[in-house]
Amino acid sequence: MKKNKKFKIYFVVLILYVIVFFISREKFFEAINSFYLVLKDMIQVLPPVMILSGLISVWVPKEIITKNFGKSSGFKGKLISIFIGSVSAGPIYAAFPLTQTLLYKGASIENTIIILSSWAVMKVPMLIVESKFLGLPFAVSRYLLTLPGILIMAYFANRLLSRKEVLDSIDSLSGRVLEIEEILPGFNCSGCGYSDCSEYAKAIFYENEIASKCVKQKEEVNFKINELLNEE
Amino acid sequence: MGTIILMGVALTLLLISFFKNRKKTKKSIMVAKKMLVETVINVTGLLLLISLILTLIPDELIKSLLGNSSMFLSGLYGAMIGTVTIIPAFVAFPLANSMMGSGANLVAIAAFITTLTMVGFVTLPIEIEHFGKKFAFYRNGLSFVLALFIAFGMVIIL
Repeated sequence: MKKNKKFKIYFVVLILYVIVFFISREKFFEAINSFYLVLKDMIQVLPPVMILSGLISVWVPKEIITKNFGKSSGFKGKLISIFIGSVSAGPIYAAFPLTQTLLYKGASIENTIIILSSWAVMKVPMLIVESKFLGLPFAVSRYLLTLPGILIMAYFANRLLSRKEVLDSIDSLSGRVLEIEEILPGFNCSGCGYSDCSEYAKAIFYENEIASKCVKQKEEVNFKINELLNEE
Repeated sequence: MGTIILMGVALTLLLISFFKNRKKTKKSIMVAKKMLVETVINVTGLLLLISLILTLIPDELIKSLLGNSSMFLSGLYGAMIGTVTIIPAFVAFPLANSMMGSGANLVAIAAFITTLTMVGFVTLPIEIEHFGKKFAFYRNGLSFVLALFIAFGMVIIL
């Protein structure tokens, strides 16, 4: 069903392009050309960014991400977030996979928003191009307003969104929580301190909870879950 | 330039990873490949659609919206156009320059540039896939409001 919906747009687009082609060749090629420009950008930027986020998800332990980007990372965490965003190349959508990896590995909502936003706007090469075309005062004043703006926005986003709720709503991650849940015995005995096995599985995956709290099959569960998490 | 550095960094780290642990490297490449394919499938259709729609909108309409005599309205229109548009930044700045030359207000251009990079209508499906609906709507909504504040702030400064 979801797949069909994804491909429906290609069908609509195809028909529209055919219609435009017969009405105006000029508009048709203009549209193809502007599509091509963005596509070229995407093809250059996306593969390296995807490789980086793949490597982070496999190599960097959760504790490191939580320490540097988590909710108690403080001012330093914000600085690193701005730095990561502003040294990266590419448009904001290139930041999604990488930032998602950081988020589920322990980054706070606040720092996630800071990375995404500074990735989008706070860039030195972009500042140079902007001042070339729109003037230095324009570029500099826009940057000076944007930086505090991003920090304020991230602060509000942090109050409006709970990290757990956001992670719960990400479909592509729920499969990995399920893998942990399958290892748990499923008695829902609350012996670990969580209301049921599913809540405990979420805590292990999202909040770095230790895997040795299961009272029913402590050793076995601990071993298998750690194996699963270290393998990812 | 930035892209070349990015490619270099990714490739170097990939090589280091390969020498340290082939199995882990293979796994990270699989993760990357899956993400890449999904993103491309999700975006290309919308991208084609928006490219066509933007081409069909007459230039005069955009000029009259961005050069509106009400400063608030032209800022709002600028922010809205930036939201639905998707073009590389290096194309956006010369475009913004020529829009200003043909009568667009400063506030409209500032709002346009900011939402162009921060708010994404075309990329909303991939954002939802990575962060869920609520996060994506809040982030885009807040960024839109921020873009307006930045634009009006610039009018005060400049």
